[in-house]
Amino acid sequence: MRRRLFIASSVSALAGCGPLSSGLSQNEQFMRVLGSVEGLNHRLIGTRGLARGYRERDVDRVFRVNGFATPSDAAYARLLADRFESYRLVVEGAVERPRAFTLSQLRRMPQQTQITRHDCVEGWSAIGKWSGVRLDDLLGAVGPRDDARYVVFRCMDNDGAGNLYYESLDMHQAHHPQALLALRLNDAPLDPDHGAPVRLRVPTQLGYKSAKWIARIEVVGSFARIAGGHGGYWEDQGYEWYAGI
Amino acid sequence: MKDARRPAIYRYAFLTRASHWLWVLALFILVGSGLQIFNASPNLDASDKSDPARRVLAIGSPAEGVGTTTIFGRTFVTTGWLGWTNDGMGSRGAHAFPATITIPGFKDLAGGRRWHLFFAWVAALCWLAWLVSAAIKGSLREMVLRPSDVPKLWPMQAYYLKLRKTPPPYGIYNPLQKASYTAVLFVIAPLVVVTGLALSPGIDAIANPLTVLFGGRQFARLWHFAGMLVLLIFFAVHTFQVATQGVVNQMRSMITGWYQPQ
Repeated sequence: MRRRLFIASSVSALAGCGPLSSGLSQNEQFMRVLGSVEGLNHRLIGTRGLARGYRERDVDRVFRVNGFATPSDAAYARLLADRFESYRLVVEGAVERPRAFTLSQLRRMPQQTQITRHDCVEGWSAIGKWSGVRLDDLLGAVGPRDDARYVVFRCMDNDGAGNLYYESLDMHQAHHPQALLALRLNDAPLDPDHGAPVRLRVPTQLGYKSAKWIARIEVVGSFARIAGGHGGYWEDQGYEWYAGI
Repeated sequence: MKDARRPAIYRYAFLTRASHWLWVLALFILVGSGLQIFNASPNLDASDKSDPARRVLAIGSPAEGVGTTTIFGRTFVTTGWLGWTNDGMGSRGAHAFPATITIPGFKDLAGGRRWHLFFAWVAALCWLAWLVSAAIKGSLREMVLRPSDVPKLWPMQAYYLKLRKTPPPYGIYNPLQKASYTAVLFVIAPLVVVTGLALSPGIDAIANPLTVLFGGRQFARLWHFAGMLVLLIFFAVHTFQVATQGVVNQMRSMITGWYQPQ
């Protein structure tokens, strides 16, 4: 009798867990408490190491497309049509020398090639060979001011509801030796699905940090007033800004 | 109530009881939110990067209304249980594990990650607090399997299988209990924590040998999942033992600390 009561009460307690956890998950305050460990993880783990470099033969020749596919709006279609001749990478904000880079100017800058693993927040991993301009070099060309705290990447893709993709790194992450503005994947110029003409590569964090189709880089003191205020498109949907875990 | 033939003993200190119940809570939340995270990419590969050629487990939905589970290349139809299941929104859809057992109880990777990363800290700190206090009080000695316990393992098993009339002599915990507590607390639980850490690209960048040790990132995900299954098996056996060995006395002792020797 007792045993049956015990089993019955355990089963009903478990059945109550689902609705309870779902209810709590929709409580913003509660989720903020759960999210409080993000700061701890950021401080303890950070982005201090170097992501492992792989060999040529480890590369996925067909690299899985993360996030959205090719932007469908007219502006991007025009850029595609003129093979990005009219593309300008605008770098502005809290910098000494704001500039707009053409694709050929970016190609003439020193290039870094890295064969690194892309870890998606969904759980899958793929290895790609990426080449492009180190973000550190690009920032060196524009000279961030003393009040610069974050580098915000404004992208050309939107989610269909009018929300443009964006991402951000703090200055430490932006100066990381592997933070790369990639122009090429697997020895070919980036194709539209993989973020052509310029995408970010941040191999020490999850894939959503590696924003594609970058149009504008904005150096700011705070991202609190940008879009949802959490520093990125997915961050505004509840994902952690620190994506190292 | 049973006759109190012998005086009750104070068997579990407060910290032991508190960490025990906190673990129960954390285990369920970590399993539920872990399955939510798993659902975002319902494959397990014995490799570093994702590699279909080295796929050990795949849960999927090859067609509308059909759920399948593929283990080591063998596919089973698991509609309703795995692959095509309750989506938590009032209908069924392509979900690996049903929303009824995930946290939150609907598709929400961001939410699942928050639960998981928070309660990972709860479970780990709880383990550390328990370990330190148990080591200081000396109660670890009664729990940890020692070489002298090994010859008693089979006689104890034989007693459970009714091949022997009496159990071998032992202290508070019998040799099989010691073996399972030692395995869970000092092998499986740390393994689950460390394989979870090996999934982090930030930690991989600091301590790549850790990820390599487990065979790569996807392989670490496989070990992490396997460790979870072992913990669930322990939970099932443990709960069965409690339910069959005087559930009221056992539960009371883990709640109030007082145990009534039989």
